[in-house]
Amino acid sequence: MIAPKQLVRSIALLTTIATFVLSLWLIGPFLGAGSADAAGMIDIFGSSYGEKLHFVQRADWITSKNFTIEYFVGVDGLNMPLMVLTSFVGLLACLASWNFESWKVNKGIKGYFALFLLLETGMLGTFVALDFFLFYIFWEIMLLPMYFLIGVWGGARKEYAAIKFFLFTLAGSVLMLVGLVAMFFYSSEAVTRYASLATSYRPDVGVLTTGTFDLIELATNQAIQTYFNATDTYFLAKGLQFAPLMFMFLFVGFAVKLPAFPVHTWLPDAHVEAPTPISMILAGVLLKMGGYGFLRLCYPIFPAGGHHWAYCLACIGVISILYGALCAMAQTDFKKLVAYSSISHMGYVLLGVAVMTDAGVQGAMFQMIAHGISSPMCFFLVGVIYDRAHHREINRFGGLWLSMPKYGTMATIGFFASLGLPGMCGFIGELWVLLGVFAARDTFTWAVPMAILAASGVILTAGYILWLIQRVYLGPSKPEHAKFPEVTGREMLILVPLAALCVLFGILPKHLLFDFTNGTLDLIVKTMAAAPERFGSLAAGL
Amino acid sequence: MLAAIELSWYPSLAELGWFAPELALVGTIVVILVAPLILGRSGLRSARIAFAGALVTLLLSVRLVEQVGGGGISGLAPESAAGMLILDKLTILFKIILMLFLTGVTALWVLGSSEKEENGEEFFVLMIGSALGMALMTSTLNLLMMAVAIEAASLPSYAIAGFDKRNRKSAEASVKYVIFGGVSVAIMLYGISLLYGMYHTLNVAIIAQGVANDLAAGQNTVLISMSLFCVLGGIAFKIAAVPFHFWCPDVFEGAKIEVTAWLSVASKAAALVLLLRLVDAFNIGAMVAGHSILTYNGLAWGLGVLAAISCTWGNFAAYRQSNVKRLLAYSSIAHAGYMMMLATIFTLPGTTTSGKPMAALMIYLIVYAVMNLGVFTVAAIVSWQTKSEDIGAFSGLGRRAPWLAVPMVCCLVSLVGLPPFGGFIAKYWLLLALGSKMAETSLAPLSWILIIVVVINTLISLFFYFRIIRTMFLSDDQLPALSPPFLGTAMANLCAVLLLLFGVVLINEPKELADRYTGDMYKPTVVLTSKDVPINAPGDMQVARSVDESDAMQIPALGGAQ
Repeated sequence: MIAPKQLVRSIALLTTIATFVLSLWLIGPFLGAGSADAAGMIDIFGSSYGEKLHFVQRADWITSKNFTIEYFVGVDGLNMPLMVLTSFVGLLACLASWNFESWKVNKGIKGYFALFLLLETGMLGTFVALDFFLFYIFWEIMLLPMYFLIGVWGGARKEYAAIKFFLFTLAGSVLMLVGLVAMFFYSSEAVTRYASLATSYRPDVGVLTTGTFDLIELATNQAIQTYFNATDTYFLAKGLQFAPLMFMFLFVGFAVKLPAFPVHTWLPDAHVEAPTPISMILAGVLLKMGGYGFLRLCYPIFPAGGHHWAYCLACIGVISILYGALCAMAQTDFKKLVAYSSISHMGYVLLGVAVMTDAGVQGAMFQMIAHGISSPMCFFLVGVIYDRAHHREINRFGGLWLSMPKYGTMATIGFFASLGLPGMCGFIGELWVLLGVFAARDTFTWAVPMAILAASGVILTAGYILWLIQRVYLGPSKPEHAKFPEVTGREMLILVPLAALCVLFGILPKHLLFDFTNGTLDLIVKTMAAAPERFGSLAAGL
Repeated sequence: MLAAIELSWYPSLAELGWFAPELALVGTIVVILVAPLILGRSGLRSARIAFAGALVTLLLSVRLVEQVGGGGISGLAPESAAGMLILDKLTILFKIILMLFLTGVTALWVLGSSEKEENGEEFFVLMIGSALGMALMTSTLNLLMMAVAIEAASLPSYAIAGFDKRNRKSAEASVKYVIFGGVSVAIMLYGISLLYGMYHTLNVAIIAQGVANDLAAGQNTVLISMSLFCVLGGIAFKIAAVPFHFWCPDVFEGAKIEVTAWLSVASKAAALVLLLRLVDAFNIGAMVAGHSILTYNGLAWGLGVLAAISCTWGNFAAYRQSNVKRLLAYSSIAHAGYMMMLATIFTLPGTTTSGKPMAALMIYLIVYAVMNLGVFTVAAIVSWQTKSEDIGAFSGLGRRAPWLAVPMVCCLVSLVGLPPFGGFIAKYWLLLALGSKMAETSLAPLSWILIIVVVINTLISLFFYFRIIRTMFLSDDQLPALSPPFLGTAMANLCAVLLLLFGVVLINEPKELADRYTGDMYKPTVVLTSKDVPINAPGDMQVARSVDESDAMQIPALGGAQ
């Protein structure tokens, strides 16, 4: 409102740069934050889930007789990389919005960038919030800006796509709200019933006496865990076990966001209609919230639910992989193809998490980050060509490499990374997930067939991506494309870092990611793995 | 029954002081009527007087809070409920909300009607008359007073619904309202007469014990269910709960928009408070008579089903509407349904959950009043300036009047119940209140079902609220820009800012306020009552008097003749 129009872009850009630099700034202290022990080792993850959280800020937000809702943010190995990814993709998307004036709908630039920054706030908040209530608020705050960003600045069917996005996401999150209320009351019941077990992970709290919204507390407090995951804690009616039901309530919300088959249908529509930078954010960051939600809420809090649904979720994961890939193969719209490939790639995340092995979860996490790099790149590549051709029909392109050699090179890197070529980022994630599925074969009867099916997804992916490259970039140059200008400096500025990261993550997965995440992920897996032995019937005694 | 009161009674000045807010409303009516005789007719002056009257009432109510003090002048224990009127903090809080809303509606009238309207005096007399009726509705547990208060609130409402005389729809609305209202009240009076016939008293607290005894013994169940159904039907008419809602869309469409705003919040709010008070009285009656509150299981399920149907029906029906006022009518039916769910929470006095439903209701009412005021302000300005109440009039409002469109978005999103707006927090406290009885009763499945109904309805309501948002921002019929009046814009933006504050920073404050003002419902210390309680209670129903006589400040019933 205050800033003059021409400054709006610059202010938004400076803000996103500052956010990115600040998030990078945190990496150093994050790595060195733990105190060195006698052997000189730096322990940044602690020995149990939630023991080591970094950059924690706590403040009482809503206090009542029976509970406290806190402004509680902090990072551990799970959300630290996602936070950096968010600020990185945000910065690139802001750069991608730079040619706002040449868009078809180019009015309301102030509104656009204001909503853009609000969206980024919501995304960062969702990743760092460690209080369920706060998490939920941030989760929902993202909806409104996204609705307007698609609905106002989108393509031909923008209204349909925007409301569809909104409805699907809200449909998922309203069940989460039931979960929020139920988890509060059941946790307060738990700590009164099993006061002897209710020692909090926070020394300053001691024994927990009230219900809580603290995500770490819900996952680590023994009283809550015992009560939540017992086979005879019921919800709604006798026979409906609490943990599996709650797990599902939360899962649906995250599955919509991921998106997993069969609640994925909003994604192709939203992507096709959204402007390029918003597609980048949607694919790069928003989809990761689904996976993050599994690992932060579903599994640590309801491990029994995870075991209960394991087959079901793994199947959904495999179906997503195959179905997404087959759909992608059938598309003639460039952007829709990339959108369906996202569904396929995120299926690996679900599969990896569902088998609950070390490698599976690590692979899921890696796949999230890898996809967070490669998919914004793919969407931006589509955007670059759309800016010039004003259509996205794959079959009308051809020979683009000849007229735009630099663009062709970048495109090849981006799509190969998405394909999962060894040496590129997409490979590691998929491989780790497959290894994780194989590793689960002792406890998981159908692990091997599932791994084989999932691996065949890689072939399908290779199929549609190679075919895409052949149709769009190779072949003889067409006269109507011959005069397309080469990618500009601004576009290279976006593509080069993404391309570099695609390669670097493929070569140095350990140093760039696994070192950040695995400590925390292993702790989560350890908690999950112990679940069947730990929890039984309450009636049978503790 | 009739002989019980000393006829030589006159209220003292101190006793009248308890009644000061209502008296101030009556005084305002008189001033509005007398002023034209001296100064000549002027609608604007009447509006100013009404505004000032509302503020004076507000101040007097606030002053009473301190006088009510620690325990409050509460009427929920059987012995205290015998009086005609109850004065507790709850009624004071309700009057404060009502008066604030009245000032908002008055401002809306000044914006839209002050220039065209010739009968401002009559309008405000009727308006304040209905406000008086609503204030009385919330402060009684006597069936007779309840009927009188409902009529006092309804009769002026019938008239102001038809106030736009030149508009056929307005006249139609008024007639429909009268017919539906008349029938509903008749049914309610029939139910009251049945209850009186069975228990020989109009005091709900004593009736509740009798009902509990009878239900426990399995006697008179048909008669009891029927009479309760009749009484609740009369209240459900005021709430406009499905299936008693048929008048609502037509009246809302026909009435002037400021009247619609008034009816959508104030009359529903009063009826909801009355309903919750009745339910609580029934709980306490069961407890005093030594029965479990589960005696009223059927009542809870009945109310729960009614509430669930209301909100679902309201939300689905709203989707088809193209007239903004009709759309908002259905939206108000749905919201009334949410709030009615609170009546299914049966709590025992003295437990941790006691007072929670009423507190949650008050929070919801506060936020709901703000949301609706904001939405109606924008809708009113748009419909005045475009001479159209169709949703199409909102087309491209984001460009034509951004300072109206943005607060409208805030209010609508808040009505959906999404963070970061107050509507979410209100809904959240409502869900917590619903969930809170989990550990206590076998009614837990009902409340969890209701919680799921609420969240699913959130989703359904998204459709039609976002239809308006979509029209404002995503489509543009190239209509000319609006020139919204400053006062209206300021009001709409104030509402939006308030909602944002309620949703982010002022989350505790409404809760604390509501807790403070409703927590005393269960601790009667001072009683505003007739001198001889209980009156003619049948011998088998003598009430144990737990309140020390010397502590109880006995004040004769105001205007009561039993």
